[in-house]
This record gives sequence, structure tokens and C-alpha cells, in this order.
Amino acid sequence: MSNKKIINIPLGAQHISLLEPVKFRFSCENETIIGVESDVGFVHRGIEKACVTKFKYDAIPYVVARVCGLCAITHSLCYTTAVENLLDGEVSRKAKYLRMLMVELDRIHSHMLCLSHTCENAGFEAMFMQIMGDREYVMSLQEKITGNRVQFDYVTIGGVNRDISSEIIKDIKTNLAIVKEKVNSYIDEFSSNWSLSLKFQGIGLLSLEEAYSYNAIGPLARATGLATDVRSETEYLPYKEIGYEMQTAHSGDIHGRNMVRLAEILNSIQMCENIVDGLPDGEILSKFKGKPNGESLVRLEAPRGELMYYIKGDGNAMLNRVRIKTPTFACIPAFMEVFKGANYGDAPAILASFDPCLSCTAK
Amino acid sequence: MREVKMINRIQTSLLTVVEDIKKFYDKRVWHFLTLNGVKLDSENTEIQWIFSRYGTIDEVTMLYTSVKQDEIIPSIVEILPSAIISQREIVDMFGLTVENSEKGLYLDEDSEQTPLSSCGI
Repeated sequence: MSNKKIINIPLGAQHISLLEPVKFRFSCENETIIGVESDVGFVHRGIEKACVTKFKYDAIPYVVARVCGLCAITHSLCYTTAVENLLDGEVSRKAKYLRMLMVELDRIHSHMLCLSHTCENAGFEAMFMQIMGDREYVMSLQEKITGNRVQFDYVTIGGVNRDISSEIIKDIKTNLAIVKEKVNSYIDEFSSNWSLSLKFQGIGLLSLEEAYSYNAIGPLARATGLATDVRSETEYLPYKEIGYEMQTAHSGDIHGRNMVRLAEILNSIQMCENIVDGLPDGEILSKFKGKPNGESLVRLEAPRGELMYYIKGDGNAMLNRVRIKTPTFACIPAFMEVFKGANYGDAPAILASFDPCLSCTAK
Repeated sequence: MREVKMINRIQTSLLTVVEDIKKFYDKRVWHFLTLNGVKLDSENTEIQWIFSRYGTIDEVTMLYTSVKQDEIIPSIVEILPSAIISQREIVDMFGLTVENSEKGLYLDEDSEQTPLSSCGI
């Protein structure tokens, strides 16, 4: 007869490793996690309902930007593209380039935030602060381009709301050159420092098979070798023109996820540089006619993976349905699978490596 | 006029949906996007199982069927473990019953219940 004792240990809803309200309840046998339950609904805000009861379709880009502070531009762009598919009009190439610029800047600072939290969890407070400080170079660019640091009212139906000046383009080049140098130094640290990242090799494992089975997305999937990225599976934005390259690893562990995010930052910087170097002339805002009639489904690659908007309208100003599928929400079953078999002491670092966004999850 | 990629819609039924997905779904080919609900009228909701194909441009397939409020939607978790989270969301938001999917993902007992059950009709 087994004398092993099962102990239930909660992580969250408030925890030092993640300042967002998610709760995991681990069943542990000694130090090993053998079962997981999750609770993600602490801050549900009813945005899907608000979108079909309180706001007309042309105001919703600014509503859904409030789903998330980190990937606001991806939310408003995904919704806007879904609406534009149901209207008559054409977004100019310049507006598409400016939209891509903001999406990639969002990805850079979001990945930097995740990496800084990884440092914090590993006890590298100084590097946490350094990365957060360096992240300001990107945040300040977003403020110059859109007028706001987060939750930008930048993307609108037909294009974008602000043009970009030559001074801002100069600032983009200057700041991104600094960030690129900083990120290269992070890569040196993350690939050589045992305490920071190498000790997490083999920890928080998700295999390629499990990634397929649990429909993993974003850096979590790409770190297992699953080559999926919405930027290569859609043509709403001309990513091929600006030098997009998929970044993958094969270890499926915390270290692999760190390295994928670092590589993606460098690729995003390269794409931003290519965007401003090759920015087309033209209008930033085109007229679209009609009202949404029919159904439309659009996917975009947010920093944490695939974001999906499904909308349905019947030709009126109010839509019948706005469905938002966010990356963290879709990955919760995969997260729970990763925890199983892990050491409880590694749970905070594993959780941080998922880069979960509970604001998106409880939209 | 810009070409708009359409969603490939395939009608199914509550009786056959599990078998239909078993026949259709290969985890290395198809990526499960989500389970979605769209209110059709006061009695009926369209339930959609949405998939995208890995490595192809905008190939989205949707299996759909209409369900009445008192019907039980079969679970596809045996085929797609990740579907559990969106099945629970449907239970909370529309007040529908999905096999082996408990209520309470998002909504507490003192919250407004089934908030999307009357939206869009």
C-alpha cells in the first residue's frame, strides 16, 4: 500500500511571480506536480457583449484595444481587418506598413517584458530592471507614433489615424539600433549564464507531439519545433516584403522559449527598419462604404500567438456577434499539461515562461 | 475589388459531429482555433467548431450546426483536449449544456448569467 501523501498547493490568484489574477491549484506528490486545476475568470469584463450591445461597429476598434495593454494594436487591427473584409474599400499600402510597424513594436516590448520577468524569477533583479529600462526605448517610440504608450487609438477602419513624420522615422532608427545592441547582449547572457537560463534546460517541457495535441501557439509552440505563425499563414499584411522569418527551437523548455523570443525581437527590429526604409507614399486613411453584412474571420499573430476575431453583421450599425479568441486563453490546457510532472519549485519560472496575459484571457 | 478568402463551412449535426471531426481532424494538418456560438433566434444557437490548416494561406474550415437551448452538445475533448476551455466558455456565455463541461469558468454565481444568450437576435 502506498504511503505517499497528496498535498494541494495553490499558486495565485495573486503571486509574486505573476502580478495578474490567475490561479492554479496543484496536486503534489512530494515536490512533483501530478495534477492541475486552473481558474482564469477573476476579471472577466464582458467585452464581447459590450461590442454587440453598446457600440456601433466603427467604434469597436477603440473598444477592443482595451482588451489588452500589451497587444492593444493587434486586437484593434484584427477586428478592423475583419470589418474591412465585409465593406467596400481598400487599405493603402502605406497604412498597411504603418500597421505592421506598430504590431512589431508591440511584439518587441511585450517579449522584453516577458524576458525581464524571467530574469526576476531567476533572481536577476538588476537585469530585470535593465530590460525594463531598455523597453522604454520602444514604448517612447509607440507614444511618438500613436500619441499613447498603451491602448492606442491608432488603427481605424480604412487605415490609421496618424501619419508618421521624418523626425519620428529618425527616432525609430536611433532607438531600434540601441535596442538591437542591447538584445544582442541579452542573447549572450541567456545563452551562457547557468543561473539565468541554462538551468531551465529540460524544465517546463512541452514536446512537439504535445504541442500538436494541445494546439499550442506562439513562442510556446515554436520552441517545440512546431513551425506555426499566423504571419506566414495569412496575407492581410505583406510580411514577406519586410523580411519576416519564422524563429523556432526544438527543446520545448523554458530556455528554448527564452531563445525564441530573443530571436523574434531581432527579426521584429529588422522588419521595423525595413518598414521605415521602404515606407510607401500615399494616404493613411481610405474611405470604406457600406455596413458589415455577413461573417468574417481574421487571425493575426499577437506576441503570445494566434489572435482570432470572428464577426457577424446583418447590414446594421450594430453587429450580431463579435468573438474574440485570445492566445493565452487557447493555451491554458497546454499550460496545465506542462506543469504535470514538473517540480513545484519550478512552477513560478514555468508560469513566467508562458508569458500569460490574463487581461486578454478574461476579455 | 479585393478578394476575400471565405470560410469553408461544413454542416454537421449533434449526432454526427464527433464522428465528423474524428474523420476530418489530423492534428499535424489542422489546428483547432476555437468553439464559437452565434445566436440565431430566441430558441436556436449556431455552434461552430473552427479549424485552420497549418502552413497554408487563410484556409479555415468550420463545422457548424444549430442547437436548441435544451439540447446537449457532445464534447470533443477526447479528440481535442484543448477544446475543454472553449466548451466551458460556451456553457457560461450562452447557458448551453456541453457534455463534461462544467459551468463557472468566467462567471460567479452573483454575476449576470448567460450574458450572450440574448445578444444579436
